[in-house]
Amino acid sequence: MADVTLFAAVGPCFSGAALLSGLHVSGTAFSATLAEPAHFSLVEMGLLLACVATSAALFFWRFGPILRTIFRSKKDADFSLHPIGRRVWDFVWEVLCQAKVIQQRPLPGVAHAFVFWGFLAFTLVSLNHFASGVRLGFLSPESYVGKFYFVFAGVWALLVAVSIAGLFVRRFFVRPVWLGKKVSYESGFIALLIFTLMVTYLAAFFVSDSGVAVKALWWTHTLALLVFLPLIPHTKHLHLVLSPLTVFLKRDGFSKISPLSGDEDFGLEAGKDITQLISLQAYSCVECGRCTEHCPASTTGKVLNPKEIILGMRSYLNELGPASEVALLAEARPETTFGTTLSMEAAFECTTCGSCEYQCPVGIQHVPILVGLRRGATNTGAWEDTYGTKLFLALEKNGNALGLSATERDKFVTKQGLPIFDGTQEYCLWLGCMGGYDPKGREIIADFARVMDYLGTTFGVLKKEKCTGDPARRLGNDLVFGSLAEFGLKALETAKVQKIVAICPHCVRTISNDWREYGVAPEIEHHSEFMARHKDRLPKQAGSEKGGESIVYHDPCYLGRYRDVYEEPREIVAMAGTLVEAPRSHERSFCCGAGGGLAFLGEETGERVSHVRAAELAGTGAQVVGTACPFCNTMFRDALSEMETRPQLLDIAQLTARALPAPNVELPLTEPNS
Amino acid sequence: MKILVAVKQVPERDAQIRVTADGKWIDEGDLSYTINEPDAYALEEALQLKEKNGGEVVVVCAGPERVTSTLREALAKGADRAIHIEADDLGERDTLGVAQILADAVKAEAPDLILTGLQSDDLGLGQTGVVMAELLGIPHATIIMQVEVVGAGLKVKRELEDGWFQHVEMPLPALLTIQSGGNKLRYATLMGIKKAKTKETKTVTAAAASGAKAIALERVYLPEKQKKTEMLTGTATEIAAKLVEKLKFEVRVI
Repeated sequence: MADVTLFAAVGPCFSGAALLSGLHVSGTAFSATLAEPAHFSLVEMGLLLACVATSAALFFWRFGPILRTIFRSKKDADFSLHPIGRRVWDFVWEVLCQAKVIQQRPLPGVAHAFVFWGFLAFTLVSLNHFASGVRLGFLSPESYVGKFYFVFAGVWALLVAVSIAGLFVRRFFVRPVWLGKKVSYESGFIALLIFTLMVTYLAAFFVSDSGVAVKALWWTHTLALLVFLPLIPHTKHLHLVLSPLTVFLKRDGFSKISPLSGDEDFGLEAGKDITQLISLQAYSCVECGRCTEHCPASTTGKVLNPKEIILGMRSYLNELGPASEVALLAEARPETTFGTTLSMEAAFECTTCGSCEYQCPVGIQHVPILVGLRRGATNTGAWEDTYGTKLFLALEKNGNALGLSATERDKFVTKQGLPIFDGTQEYCLWLGCMGGYDPKGREIIADFARVMDYLGTTFGVLKKEKCTGDPARRLGNDLVFGSLAEFGLKALETAKVQKIVAICPHCVRTISNDWREYGVAPEIEHHSEFMARHKDRLPKQAGSEKGGESIVYHDPCYLGRYRDVYEEPREIVAMAGTLVEAPRSHERSFCCGAGGGLAFLGEETGERVSHVRAAELAGTGAQVVGTACPFCNTMFRDALSEMETRPQLLDIAQLTARALPAPNVELPLTEPNS
Repeated sequence: MKILVAVKQVPERDAQIRVTADGKWIDEGDLSYTINEPDAYALEEALQLKEKNGGEVVVVCAGPERVTSTLREALAKGADRAIHIEADDLGERDTLGVAQILADAVKAEAPDLILTGLQSDDLGLGQTGVVMAELLGIPHATIIMQVEVVGAGLKVKRELEDGWFQHVEMPLPALLTIQSGGNKLRYATLMGIKKAKTKETKTVTAAAASGAKAIALERVYLPEKQKKTEMLTGTATEIAAKLVEKLKFEVRVI
């Protein structure tokens, strides 16, 4: 009861004396029936309606402009409600079941879920609460249904009260760094209001229907709710209203980059380019910091903080509106609220690993926003970067990201004896920039070609192949990406390719997904999928039955989160030795630092992402680091070379090829005497 | 300031070149073409001068239909207008002939400054710009690294040999031939390409080649690779001495 006294201060309409005397009369006996004030005078009813009206008016006074901003944002040209089934499932799983909230942070996640489910259970209670205040109550505490439901809600009230108190302790005393440096007092006050709502509800089981106590509780409950309502729109609690919709409406597909629409669209250049969905997502951010916690840039001392990017978009919209022509990205602009977070430097530090997007519990799709910002800067020439320019010119001129002459690929193909695809073979083996030009990538290709030969699968490589455009795509250069995509589609069509297999997850993703903007590519799969499908016909590494070497597998972002392929490469690794898991694996794998075109952008500030991940992999004590992406491989090769004792580094194709009988016809490139 | 940039389209650097049957020119069939590299730097210099001092950049290129792609790229990078001098017989004209058709097209424009690359990646004669200046009767400077507008004239930095530079002040109008690497090239953007669609490209037809050529291409051929083996005989001391002699004076590596 002490709590009731404490929170009664929230209801200033009552004189303290009346309240206290009421409490004295009430006694402390619990009854399974909720006490409801027996009678409301006309004055009270008038007062209630006035309070409700004021609260609602204040709510809409703040929420109206937000709604207007969202609706006045540019329409999402490619939005479609299909597939509706996926949307419903996401809604059920992520909103109703709170799956993402719980998966990521189990303890606070469950606490949050209790508060959410409690709120759902309370919908009926709250409706009846206000209805009873105007003598229209529809759920009588005396009826069987009422008796059951109010006790049911009571159990939830208890859970909510305990949970919100726990979350309060977490936010204000434990203070995890991801929640932000600034303490939000409003969050504390709102937690207090929620706690008040629950306690005042529960206390009503201990008082009688008549007397001042029941009225005091009723009014305290009412006012707590009415004070809460107008606080929603301008705090992170706006997610209560928006996030179920955001989750339901989010764009289909992971990290989907939408086509540009019309001649004036160059990406997220200014406010005028922010679409309704981006606007909705910006206002839905609950500031939990999961995105930041998993961001390879944020956690290694870079400027980029995905949460601040989203909040920066929100501040921009609040300050300048959705029709503004002011550039979203510029060099640091400390005079604005968004200027420090929406900076050119930050946007170009993203590895597009997608961890932020994967973790986000409210349906924000960070990667398309970050790539959108880059598009706005690169497509207009606002992004000036020596390395970036060099990369784009290399892609334009040489058709590969490494800037080497295309004849280097021809030489490798000839030297390696790779057959040219002529339409008679089953697969087109896509070399990619790494496979065609990089020494380590070539080793992987050579070994994978051996595996295919061993299996008797016919394959050939294209006579001429250019980069898929992946780095240009992620760095926002639609001109270079488009011309490379068109070249690639034409080359595959001319050669009459039906099936492609590639060693690079970036190639796989770009061809299967991003090229759709320009045409239909043949079906493509990653070599891990190919080898896993034929694993029964592939030999096991000698000694692997007894355990063999320990191999830690690193999930590449573009194979895992982007393509949902986690088990296939593990099956291959398990055939070569004992599979060891890294502390962060599967969906939570930590980036190698190469994605998003960053492999080509020169030195990083802060710690190197690749070194952090390599240390984590080496820290497992495994004898071998198994990779499935030539970019990860090259990043780790560099990072591991600085360690005194270091694990071996092998691609899954190399792990498989080790177990093959020694080649007797021609020596592959991996042999030292070739 | 009105700046005119004369550019040339040349085969891609890593293109597989084939010589025609008569050995007089290269087979243009399967080749892909690009902007001559020093000309790309000339264009970049022009764009930067315009950004600093205002004005207009007009890009001009002589050649068959295919050169319009190079002109479009120049427009996409920021040039304001383009002039295409239609000529299918560039291979048959000598430097004077090419400089003449460029000078004819340029005259009407009366630019303040003409920029071009110091030489072409294919023929590498390094004379077109200089001859053009002569035909137009304006001063020129070659192998330019930097250009600065000073009052009514220019201050330019020429590259000399052995790390030496020469700073020259000169009046306008003038013609400069630009060295590669003086600036950083910019990348073409989507916005640039879209804007280029609305920019004007004027097509003029080159006057028929007149008069006898001062220079004719005798034979076009790919660099010949030769292996030469020579056996040295004598005692070890004699062989060593002969070897040193050869390495010093024939191969010139020690």
